Amino acid sequence: MADRRKYSFYVEDKALQTTDRPKKFLEAFAAVLQHSNYFLALDAYTRLSTKCSRCAAACQLYQATGQERDIPCHRSELLFKIFRRYFTSAGALKARLWGGFTLTDEHLDALAEAVYRCTACRRCKSTCPMGIDHGLVTHLARWLLSEIDLAPKALVVATRAQLEGVGNTSAIPVPALKDTCEFLEEEFRDIYGVEGVKFPFDVEGAEFVFFPAVSDYLLEPDTLMGNAAVMHVTGGSWTIGTGNYDGINYGLFYSDRMMERIVKNVVAEVRRLKGRKILVGECGHATRSAWFVPTFCGPDAPEVVNCMQYTLEQLRAGKIPLKAQRIEERTTYHDPCNIARAGRITEEPREILKTICKDFVEMTPNRTENYCCGGGGGTVSIDEIRAFRTGPMGKRKAEQIRATGAKYLVAPCANCKKQLREICEDNGLDSVEVVGLHDLVLKVIDFGVGGSGPGAQGGQREKT
Amino acid sequence: MQSWIEWLRGPGFAFAFTFMVLGLVRRAALTAWEVARAMRRAGDKSLPYRQIGITTLKWLVPLGKLKSQLVFSLTSVLLHAAGVIVALFLGGHIALWARGLGIFWPAIPNGLADVLTLVAIVAAAALVVQRVAAGPARALSRFQDYALLLILALPLASGFLVMHPRLNPFSFEAALLVHVASAELLFVLIPVTKLSHAILLPGVHLVSEVAWHWPPDAGSKVAATLRKENQPV
Repeated sequence: MADRRKYSFYVEDKALQTTDRPKKFLEAFAAVLQHSNYFLALDAYTRLSTKCSRCAAACQLYQATGQERDIPCHRSELLFKIFRRYFTSAGALKARLWGGFTLTDEHLDALAEAVYRCTACRRCKSTCPMGIDHGLVTHLARWLLSEIDLAPKALVVATRAQLEGVGNTSAIPVPALKDTCEFLEEEFRDIYGVEGVKFPFDVEGAEFVFFPAVSDYLLEPDTLMGNAAVMHVTGGSWTIGTGNYDGINYGLFYSDRMMERIVKNVVAEVRRLKGRKILVGECGHATRSAWFVPTFCGPDAPEVVNCMQYTLEQLRAGKIPLKAQRIEERTTYHDPCNIARAGRITEEPREILKTICKDFVEMTPNRTENYCCGGGGGTVSIDEIRAFRTGPMGKRKAEQIRATGAKYLVAPCANCKKQLREICEDNGLDSVEVVGLHDLVLKVIDFGVGGSGPGAQGGQREKT
Repeated sequence: MQSWIEWLRGPGFAFAFTFMVLGLVRRAALTAWEVARAMRRAGDKSLPYRQIGITTLKWLVPLGKLKSQLVFSLTSVLLHAAGVIVALFLGGHIALWARGLGIFWPAIPNGLADVLTLVAIVAAAALVVQRVAAGPARALSRFQDYALLLILALPLASGFLVMHPRLNPFSFEAALLVHVASAELLFVLIPVTKLSHAILLPGVHLVSEVAWHWPPDAGSKVAATLRKENQPV
């Protein structure tokens, strides 16, 4: 039996105790192909793959390591090989006539290592002449591996806490949540001198039910205060449900089966509260997994709105009063892959930032071609691979950040923020401050109370 | 040799060409059927058609993609463009269609065809060189990735020799035999190898998008099939 560090990430004991893994993997593969639409993509990809290696040039990891195993096409081939051999008639015939590839434990281990060296950022898709979505292949391979219990312990434990424990990935009980929010309401009074800003709980019939990354309640009070401030000044109808207040969905990173359960729990909470829309906080993967709501729950499911979309709409409508003084410090923006890669949310944050910052600069490349923070695909939660994340995987991002010379690095994503802070720590970018977009919005909102508060030039509020 | 050539130009061509056409039509039809089936099953039936269309067009006419890995991109585009134009618009090829089926269309001048043929041959050779020279491509390449380029270059080179007897060190019949045989081998290989991108490529971005659209309860059904409904996380 291998030790617990058989892989570069920790796994649960049951992953090391599972027997007959190839057979179980193939059974899971068959079930997934039967009930999903992945067969369509694999059938096309395995016919089309030209092995031209253009994807290598797009991959920030390959750029840093130059290792064959980090070429996206090489990684995908590990799964394609299994698909061709066991799920195509040509592969079965070839195996009968000439033998050849047989799925082994070693192959599964190599696949597991490969797909967790990938952040599933999907940047390589845009450079593949054959249109192969290697991110989809990584996503699928992770699900299949999880069915033989081969998944990073960090992701499984968080998902377990959400689905079978306290109900959220940070294990924050409702009383603690309420205490935190009351504290933040007091902060509005103490720091900004503004009364009446609320974090409303369990309001029935609200337009928006709010689902931030639950870790924001512990780590990103400024982001949450920015969200609440926007809702306050715009008179937005919103609520936080005490039945479910976590937008995080690690199912997206390792199991569609878990993703479905988490998405359905979100929708159930919105329906319990008779809310109309899901308002997702500053979190890339929470937003993307919420976009799967109609997939899992049908076309009548609640609409999904990212908080940046709401804020921009209100800003354009002139409903967010701003102080005359804007943010002076150079500011740049990191596009979270999960909302930007497909081009769904790229301009909203820029329009907001250009309105509130005097010196906004772009990273190069940006938008759909931006580099991943290096912690995508849930890898940011795997603390034991930090050196990898902030080293080879984060090298290009560190170079991008350094080149901007920015003080504020805005990342509207809880996972990106954690990873970017670690990148800055490990790459000598000490002067860079990683913040959420609403942290900056909070600085420039004019509450009309006579200029109290830290103001646009004020430093970050003290973290709680 | 003459009888072989006659067979290849007659029944051999009919078989290979029909195999290619039917093979590609079958592949297109199966893919279209699967896409329709997937969307019928999908919980979310909305697709970003405009974005899919734009991405598809950008790759079908990849002029905007040339700047990335310029030499590789350029040689690849030149091989495709020159090879397809010569195959379809060479006067000699059109004359065969006119003689066999009575259909014809405008031809390109033979001089232009010569230039395009040479461009395609050089591009095919350049792609082989790049595969060998570039570390990532060399690491990934399989036997077929080299073999298909060679098979692609054979009808081009032999066709050039057929058109230019004075440059042909072999007999006219030998060059013609290789030309027709290698072209027909290519026809047969197109639907069953990665060359099937001739028909699959226009739909691949749609396929990728549809693959993210699962049936509702897909995860629950997988759990039921694997008897894991009540299994803890």
